[in-house]
Amino acid sequence: MKHSIKHLHSGSCADIYRHLCENLDSQFETEECKRIREHIEQCDTCSALLDSLKKTVYLYKQETVPAMPKTLEKKLFAVIKLKKKQKHSPGK
Amino acid sequence: MRIIFLPTEIFLSFSIQKILYDESSLKQTASHTTQASSDSEQSLISRAKNGDERAFTQLVRNYEQTVWGFAYKLCRNQEKAEESFQDTFINVYRKLNQFDGRSKFSTWLYSIVANNCLMNRRKRKIEELLESLDEAPDVHDETIQKQLASWDDSPIETVINGEMRTALDEAIQQLPDDYKAVFVLRDLEEKTAEETAKILQLTVPAVKSRLRRSRIFLRHKLHNYMKHE
Ligand SMILES: [Zn+2]
Repeated sequence: MKHSIKHLHSGSCADIYRHLCENLDSQFETEECKRIREHIEQCDTCSALLDSLKKTVYLYKQETVPAMPKTLEKKLFAVIKLKKKQKHSPGK
Repeated sequence: MRIIFLPTEIFLSFSIQKILYDESSLKQTASHTTQASSDSEQSLISRAKNGDERAFTQLVRNYEQTVWGFAYKLCRNQEKAEESFQDTFINVYRKLNQFDGRSKFSTWLYSIVANNCLMNRRKRKIEELLESLDEAPDVHDETIQKQLASWDDSPIETVINGEMRTALDEAIQQLPDDYKAVFVLRDLEEKTAEETAKILQLTVPAVKSRLRRSRIFLRHKLHNYMKHE
């Protein structure tokens, strides 16, 4: 992929930066967003930054959560039963 | 060597419009649990409030996977996640009468999990560092250029191996709890900024700034693992 990163439009990169880091997942529909999108399409640095942020989130999304232990629910209801014996109605 | 299979459209597209998540396609995790039941959630809740044990059991079953998933992502540890799961539902059992229905039940539930997992909201050194991330980096800086290039060069097909898993874990564990919670809720659980704000009792701008800084921070922490091909 891109190996050299040019500094096209680097003057405005700084004000793009915040939006970029905040709006990874927005559709950029407002006027300002259009401006940002146009900038990113032409700016290798900003597009690389956006890409790396997306990759970061993507990696975390790939992490798996182990299945909920089968005994967990049973344990919970056992504890709650005990609590119930201590008082007569829940929550009151 | 970190090889992950990545859908090409995600990484090959440099267009801002091509978004990592299509919001609508990603809501499966949280929503599938509740709709299956024929009982409406409201009636379940009111019956459970009146001491109907079966209604309470059903309520637990509707949400246990959601609670487990969120607790695990926050605690990142089996034992702690189990503890947090238990504590959360015991809290629900105890405090169900306090749930007034003004917010969604799931929002209320998420906030209980978050409170169970997060205790330390004190300002730490790391938060000062995170705040400094609001400043845009100098794009002419050679290190920044190299860093970005290393992400660019990273292979599209990689697996999260043990080394990467540890790196992901170490990076996210360095975030202060409320930052971590914002990142998990927004980027992993796909909650809106508004709902995240409600769950964590933060303002929407606070959620946005925490999310932005968390992403940059994590990206920065992971970049060493993106270097070599
Ligand atoms: Zn730029």
